[in-house]
Parts: sequence; C-alpha cells; structure tokens
Amino acid sequence: MTPVGAVATIGRLCRITRVTWLSELLEPGRMVSTAIQVGSQVFLTACLWTALYAHTEVSAGLQEHQAVGYAVLAVLASRLRPLSRDMAPDSFYRHMREGTILYWFLRPLPPHRYHLVRALGDQAHGLLWVLAGYGLCTTAGVVPLPDGRWTLPAFLVSMFLGQVIVYQLSLILDLLCFWTVANSNALHVSHFVQSLLSGAFAPLWFFPGWFTTANSFLPFQSTLHIPLSIYVGRIPVNRVPREVAVQAVWCLLLWLITRTLWKRAESRVAVQGG
Amino acid sequence: MNSKSVPVIAERLTKTFRVAHRSAGFMGGVRAIFRPTWEYKPVVRGVSLSVQPGELVALLGPNGAGKSTTIKMLTGIVAPTTGSVRLCGLDPHRNREENARNIGAVFGQRSQLWWDLPARDSLVMLRDIFEVPAGEYRERLRQFDDMLELSRFWDTRVRHLSLGQRVRCDLAAALLHDPAVLFLDEPTIGMDVLVKEQVREFLRHQVAEDGKAVLLTTHDMKEVEHLAERIILINDGEEMFEGGVAALRSRFGATWKVHVTLSDAVGHPRLAHARIVAREGARVTFGPRPEASAPLGHALKEIINAYPVSDVSTEEDSLEDIMRTYLGGAAAARQSASGGSRMAAR
Ligand SMILES: Nc1ncnc2c1ncn2[C@@H]1O[C@H](COP(=O)(O)OP(=O)(O)OP(=O)(O)O)[C@@H](O)[C@H]1O
Ligand SMILES: [Mg+2]
Repeated sequence: MTPVGAVATIGRLCRITRVTWLSELLEPGRMVSTAIQVGSQVFLTACLWTALYAHTEVSAGLQEHQAVGYAVLAVLASRLRPLSRDMAPDSFYRHMREGTILYWFLRPLPPHRYHLVRALGDQAHGLLWVLAGYGLCTTAGVVPLPDGRWTLPAFLVSMFLGQVIVYQLSLILDLLCFWTVANSNALHVSHFVQSLLSGAFAPLWFFPGWFTTANSFLPFQSTLHIPLSIYVGRIPVNRVPREVAVQAVWCLLLWLITRTLWKRAESRVAVQGG
Repeated sequence: MNSKSVPVIAERLTKTFRVAHRSAGFMGGVRAIFRPTWEYKPVVRGVSLSVQPGELVALLGPNGAGKSTTIKMLTGIVAPTTGSVRLCGLDPHRNREENARNIGAVFGQRSQLWWDLPARDSLVMLRDIFEVPAGEYRERLRQFDDMLELSRFWDTRVRHLSLGQRVRCDLAAALLHDPAVLFLDEPTIGMDVLVKEQVREFLRHQVAEDGKAVLLTTHDMKEVEHLAERIILINDGEEMFEGGVAALRSRFGATWKVHVTLSDAVGHPRLAHARIVAREGARVTFGPRPEASAPLGHALKEIINAYPVSDVSTEEDSLEDIMRTYLGGAAAARQSASGGSRMAAR
C-alpha cells in the first residue's frame, strides 16, 4: 500500500468512528446523565475511601492518597470500555437477533474490522470523558499527580495494553452470539465479574491472598489493576517490565482466540429468519 | 456467453441446515444441552438460475419456500451446501469483500441504516465504507431524491422513520455504490399504493436505464406483473417453474372468460379454442376448452369471427389467482403425500 493509500484508508476508518460521536451529540440527555453519573460516582468513591482511612495511615500497602487515587481512577477508566449499548439496536446482540448482521457481510469492510473501528470510536469517546474527569480530579486534589519521571509513561503503556484486553474480552462475549444467538446473560455476569476482578469495585490489594493468587491467572487484573497500581506507585517502576510483559502475553493470547473465533464465525454465520 | 458477462449464475444450489432437535418440556431442554441430536433440514434443493444485465427476475414461492435462503447464498452471506454461485465472475462466499462492491441488497424487514443517526448520515457512512467518490455520491443522491423523495425525511433519525420511508432510504443505501446486481427480498413490504408505484418506477429505471440485474422476491403479484420479465417459482426448496408470465399462465392452466352480447340469434358453431360456459338470453359467456387451454387472444378472434357480437368484455386470471390455484394444489398434494407416508410407517 502506498503512503497516500494508507492515509486515505486511515481517514476513511476514522470517519466511520463518527457514528459514536454523532449519536452521542444528538442525545444531549444522554451526555448530561453520563456527567451526573460519573460525577456522583467519583464523589462518593472519594468520600468512601477517605473515610476508610480516617484512623489508619497505611492499609494493604496503600496510603490514603494512593487508595483514593486508585479507586477514583478506576471509576473514570470504566468509561473507556466500548459503550454499554448492550440492548440498544446497534449492539452486536441485537444485530444477531434481528439478522441485520447480514449487512456486515455485504460490505467491502470485513466484519472484524468494522467491529474494531466502532469500538475504537467508543473508546476514543470515553477517553474524552476520562480526560475531563481526570483534569477536574487532579485540580481538586482527589487524584495525585504521578510521582517520578517514569511513572507516567509506564502507566500509559500499561493502560493501553489494558484497553486492548478490555476490547478483546468484550469481543469474545459478542462473538459468543454466533453460537448462542443471545449473549445478554453472559454480558450481565461478565460485567459484574470483570468489574470485581479488574479492581473497578475496590483496589485488588484489599482482597485476600488466595483471591489475588487465583486472579493472577486471569486476564482481568491486567485491564485496570496493573496500570492503576503503576500510576499510584504501588507497583514500583523496576517491576513494571514484568507486569507489562504479562499484559502483552494476554493481548497475544486473546488476539489468537478472537482471531480464531472470527474465522469460525464468518464461515458458519447462518443469519436467522427471513 | 462467458460467466463474467452474466452477473448472476447459480447452478444446482442446495442448502441443508443442521438444527438441534429438542424434544418438548424441561427435560427435553436439558437433554438438548448435554446430548444434542441433530436433524438435517434440506431447505433449498437444487435451484439453478441466472439473471442478465438489464433484467428483473422475480423469485416467487410460498412462505418458507427457501427464497430468502437462496438470496443469502447468492449474496455470499451463507455458503451453499452443494452447487455453485458466480456473481460477476466471483464466488461470492469466498470473495466477500470484492463481491460487496458488485452487489447491493435490501432485506425488507431489516435495515442496514444506523438507528440513532439521521438517514442522511447513514448514507454518508456507507459512502465512506464503500469509498464512493464525493462527486458521484452527490450525483446519485440527487437522482435518488428525485425519484424517491428522500429529502422530505432524510434528516429524521432512522428510528423515527415510518416503514415505507425507511425502506426507501434502504434502497438508496443499497444502490449508493452503483452495484451491477441488486437483490431485493420483499422490498415493498408495508408500503402504501403511491409509494409502491414510486418504488416500482425507480426499479424500472434502475433496470432499463442503468442496466442493473435485479433479483426480487415478493408476495405482491401486482408488482411481479408490472416489473418482472421472468419468474422463477420455487416450492419447498425445489424449482417448479422458470419462464415468462405468459408461459406461467399456460403452464398452470390459467383460465379466462369472454362475455359477449349477441346482436342476432344464431346457432352455435363449434369453436376450436372456446366453449360456452353460460348463457342468459343474448348474453353468452365463453371459457377455454378443457382439453386444450388456448390463449385468450386466439379464442377472442375466433369468437368474434363466428358470432354477431354487439358487445365484448374479457376476464383473465391474475397472477395472484394462478398462484393461489397452484399453491392450493401443491399444499393438497403435500398433505396427501405426508399422510400416506405416516400410514406406511405404522
Ligand atoms: N438458519 C436456519 N436454520 C434452520 N432453518 C432455517 C434457517 N434459515 C431458514 N430456515 C428454514 O428454511 C426454510 C426457508 O426459509 P426462507 O427464509 O428461505 O423462506 P422464504 O421463502 O424466504 O419465506 P418467506 O416468504 O416467509 O420469507 C424455512 O422453513 C425456515 O424455517
Ligand atoms: Mg423470506
């Protein structure tokens, strides 16, 4: 591909992500409710963790500012996942159920790429929310600024890998639809499990040892727990390469799985009804 | 003719779905999870067809005949169990991306538009996906708007569009990249009479002026009479008939009536093509001879030559009547066949 061709292709893919922006902008109500939801969640989380540290200095190896920073960032970062349009007409689930998925196979853009581009749009949209929230929280002193020269770059790399894993996990759930048609139950369970095991509910440092050991064999802590711990300095910079390597291995493994699933799905698709 | 110049060629297509057999009740459900038994369900059984450029072919048949499944195989969404498809020289299932540029499709009950966006933004999305140059896009949009009056509602969000409006936008969406072949699966479902006429005119234009090859399924026989040069009739996945509307009439014993008022009392000469089926004073009604169903035109000529006629009117079975008779007969035949096999099994 020539450089000009590559730029054109990237431009075209970027333009496709505008579905997310347009549909959000056309719904000011949805934006207001998101703002209220995120705002109150951040506020309550900060209050809760500050209160928990009223009589202690250090708990589970975290000081107050670290624990509050971790918990608040976790709330913000959960905005980054592909938009929760679980039951909306544009969800994978609904496309499968209603058979509109068949149009995905009638376009010169393969379904797996379209799915990815849409998710990138969603995640970029979430990133704006996160940056706005992050700006406010650091200004208000709720979230500490990163310590040391290497903390921020290490965090960004780890967070990026974490987001790749978030996408792949949600993709696996979507692809389940090709076999089961409905993934709504799986989605409900997985939202809970993923939030719990990734550290979105509470920093994983507070969980019992057997739990953390078991969890270390799963991909979930790579999505939030690792990057956030790097950010607040609970994982020292010299241990970062090892953690990032584990994340990279998960990315690779999940990529292999999702690729295989897509291949099978694309060859076995039997659109219902007609 | 080589396979590239015929946009659609399908040979002996079959499709057999594997479905999990599930006995009724809770235990049936549990058993189906742990030990599924599979049933093989032949849905399409040997359909061959072709569509030329500038030709509109109607694929007809009762509910569940396998029309939509056939279209899914032709468009490359579903792989045929056996048989082969060539679309503009390509195997649509193997070359989905390339094939997508040659075909457009509307599945009437399903929309490819983005639910939350105004219809026009959906069209812009498709322009980007199909990489339609900006100039061509504007030109085509203007043409579609002229014929389908899209601008009256294209700034409305798709989920607020009425069914007829949405399907018109879907038609535009399917044709935005100017495909050589168009597949329409019940496109006029739920449209009012005027919009139907508008869409027919639009399709006629696409076929006659732009030389598109169109394959249409519909249950609206008026539409077929207005649009289709050729009909392919399938039932139970099997091809029952292929040919023009006139051939369909004679094949399925379509009947007609000629009502005349005689100006003079005369005897009744024997006619080769027609016989009297009713008479009331000077009003006489003719129908085809049972032994040879002649076309209406021949009989009419013969009647007028043989009788002193002061007034004439004719009545011909519509395509709908023909289909009704045919499907009624087919259903009865199936019932007696399955009844027979059940007896044999016992
Ligand atoms: N994915 C599938 N799995 C199992 N059976 C299927 C599947 N898709 C279709 N069928 C069956 O195939 C048969 C033909 O379906 P199809 O949708 O092709 O009919 P049709 O001719 O389009 O009917 P209609 O006029 O009602 O739209 C039906 O009996 C249907 O139950
Ligand atoms: Mg159908």
